Amino acid sequence: MIWRSVDLRRTALRTLLQLQLNMAASTFCPVLLPLSRINCKLNGIYTLISLNKTAAYSTGLSVKKTGAKTGLPQRGGKELRRQIKQVLQPRTERMAVDQDWTAVYPTAASFKADAVPLPVRMGYPVKKGVPPSKKGNLELLKIPNFLHLTPNAIKKQCEALKPFCTEWPAALDSDEKCEKHFPIQVQKKDYVFAGPSLRHPDARIVTLTVKLSSLNLDDHARKKMIKLSGERYNKDTDTLTITADSCPLKQQNHDYAMYMLTVLYHESWKIEAWEKEKTRADMEEYVWEDSPSQKNILETLLRIRPLSEQQEEGEVREELLGREEVQEYKDSVTKLKNEGETEGNMQQYKEAVKKLLSI
Amino acid sequence: MNLPRLYHRLRLTVVQVRSLHGSSNVQQVETAAVAAESDPVSSQFSVFRTSENDPACHTDLHAGQYYTLPTAQLRTLFPHGLPYRFQMQIKTFNEACVMVRQPALELISYLKKADYSRPALRYILYGETGCGKTMSLCHALHFCATQGWMVLHIPDAHLWVKNCRELLPSSSRPGRLDQPLQASLWLKNFKTTNDRFLSKIKTTQRYVWTKRETTEEGRPLGELVDQGVARVKSSSDVVGALLRELRLQAGGAAEGAFRLAVAVDGVNALWGRTTLKKEDKSEVLPEELTLVHNLRKMLRNDWSGGAILTTLSHTGSLYKPRSAYLPMELLGEEGFDTMDPFVPVPVSSYTEKEFESCYLYYMDRHWLQHPHSQTEEGKKELIFLSNRNPSILERLCATL
Repeated sequence: MIWRSVDLRRTALRTLLQLQLNMAASTFCPVLLPLSRINCKLNGIYTLISLNKTAAYSTGLSVKKTGAKTGLPQRGGKELRRQIKQVLQPRTERMAVDQDWTAVYPTAASFKADAVPLPVRMGYPVKKGVPPSKKGNLELLKIPNFLHLTPNAIKKQCEALKPFCTEWPAALDSDEKCEKHFPIQVQKKDYVFAGPSLRHPDARIVTLTVKLSSLNLDDHARKKMIKLSGERYNKDTDTLTITADSCPLKQQNHDYAMYMLTVLYHESWKIEAWEKEKTRADMEEYVWEDSPSQKNILETLLRIRPLSEQQEEGEVREELLGREEVQEYKDSVTKLKNEGETEGNMQQYKEAVKKLLSI
Repeated sequence: MNLPRLYHRLRLTVVQVRSLHGSSNVQQVETAAVAAESDPVSSQFSVFRTSENDPACHTDLHAGQYYTLPTAQLRTLFPHGLPYRFQMQIKTFNEACVMVRQPALELISYLKKADYSRPALRYILYGETGCGKTMSLCHALHFCATQGWMVLHIPDAHLWVKNCRELLPSSSRPGRLDQPLQASLWLKNFKTTNDRFLSKIKTTQRYVWTKRETTEEGRPLGELVDQGVARVKSSSDVVGALLRELRLQAGGAAEGAFRLAVAVDGVNALWGRTTLKKEDKSEVLPEELTLVHNLRKMLRNDWSGGAILTTLSHTGSLYKPRSAYLPMELLGEEGFDTMDPFVPVPVSSYTEKEFESCYLYYMDRHWLQHPHSQTEEGKKELIFLSNRNPSILERLCATL
């Protein structure tokens, strides 16, 4: 809607004349609530164009009201010219620094270059140029903007919602207490939707999060639960997240998620017959007993000091494994394998090997 | 720092024309310069050089200083062991100067203190690319050679798992693959290094190569090696037999006893992947290669009377990320479990003292021709650009 300045001028002139005629009716503004005079001013022109034919109401460039002049509108070129000039200027030039921004953008609206006082540039620059400015910039119009969601706007919305909320229970004043009394957290989303139907399809999704430390699991059950949950378990935060979205209703999905949790819990406590076939490759962490490392070190130590005839192999093995250097070596290898390799771990391993092989 | 400068100016005044090839000239001029300077200065003027050329006598006092490898023995000591760029440097400077560094000193001290009646100890040199692992290994091998050990040096195990033109199915074992060219080349170089041992050691078993060729029991090992060099087809099996013989006879109590140093550069190749393909386009596993199989047997510590010195190498490694340099990353699960227990020896970039030493050496050799590189500012720039990494520094200085 780009109006040529001439048109604007003409319409501005017409407006002012009508204002003079319909001064009395200017208080009648069915279309516009005078939220702010500035608002009226800008919108006034456009509204007036559409109501041109039936100019019963002059929605009032309440220019008259802003100024000190409350009496009869003055004719005369200078005043008129000033008023037209004010109308033709973009609104940004009349904005105060401490204005109420929620009034400028109360709802989601497209980007209006004349209402946003920021020197934004957007777009691909031509050669040896800069990105185009905001005036008439289609790129800025195309993208979604969040000018209606400033912190102030959100605060106002929260204040408006507060009468509908209940009090937070005073006993739950820390995160640990919340975690202790309510370990299972269920997240559901509600949407305000306008389309062929009022229902939003994503409103049925239910997410259930629970920390495994708050469940009663022993070592085997915990490992089995983690293996069963697969991708849904987060090792860093120890949380299991179950997302249910297969049923059409939220209530159904909620029930399904709770059912899933129950099933996982009970299944992980069961021990199946085939579980004793678990191999070293299936183990979650490195265990030094019966590892190649243990075999190697025993062989090496036996080669250093071969068995004499009286000693039995089992006894010697036990005695060797009980030695302090071997324990240190075992700790360093387990640390290397479980925690990953770092310079520190390597140093520890080196010291342990040197001590063991008495270098 | 001013002392080397002073030394420089003095030398320039003494001799007008400097030639890169006049190493003996340099020595004479050095001695002349020494006489010209005062006593407290003369002991410090060659901060980067030491006259102690025997690795057995190197101590922490010599750390950071360059010692010279005797050029006459270079051919027999390292026919294939030195890094390529170092070989080019030897040709350019007409001398082989190696810096005495802490990892090599540590390794040599372990070798000196070890008990050789116990199973062989394994040492792994690891560190980032270009930090000097191969050079430290060569330093340690020079020590072994001066002590009269037999040196079994595989210069780069990665060469055996990639780019092999001829892969023959093994004649002795089904399912294995031979690499005749690599094996015969290695045997030739092995012979150059260890000629004097080969006549003394005798085989303990009869080996049958083909219907008409056998090696009887009690023949000198030299014959075995000649067999492998001459008959390229059975060279891989010869290598296997040789390794077995050496394993059995190293460190014996007999009068012909010798100590064996097994040195493998790039040992992570033995447990990695190969880029070789069989005829049906399936990938060859390392254990299917005869050479790799026999070398793996050598690296186990079931023999005594020697030491196993190895290096991990990322350059030349296959299918490994560029940032990998720690032992477990490069060796993998299998490799680590096989080499365990080993002594890891970390090799890092130059310290400040070592960098100084290297810089002075290049200045001494007139390698840095660019006028800015001879200033303090230029030196700081070199430190910044190379981050004191030896190989990067060498490449930078080569362009200056």
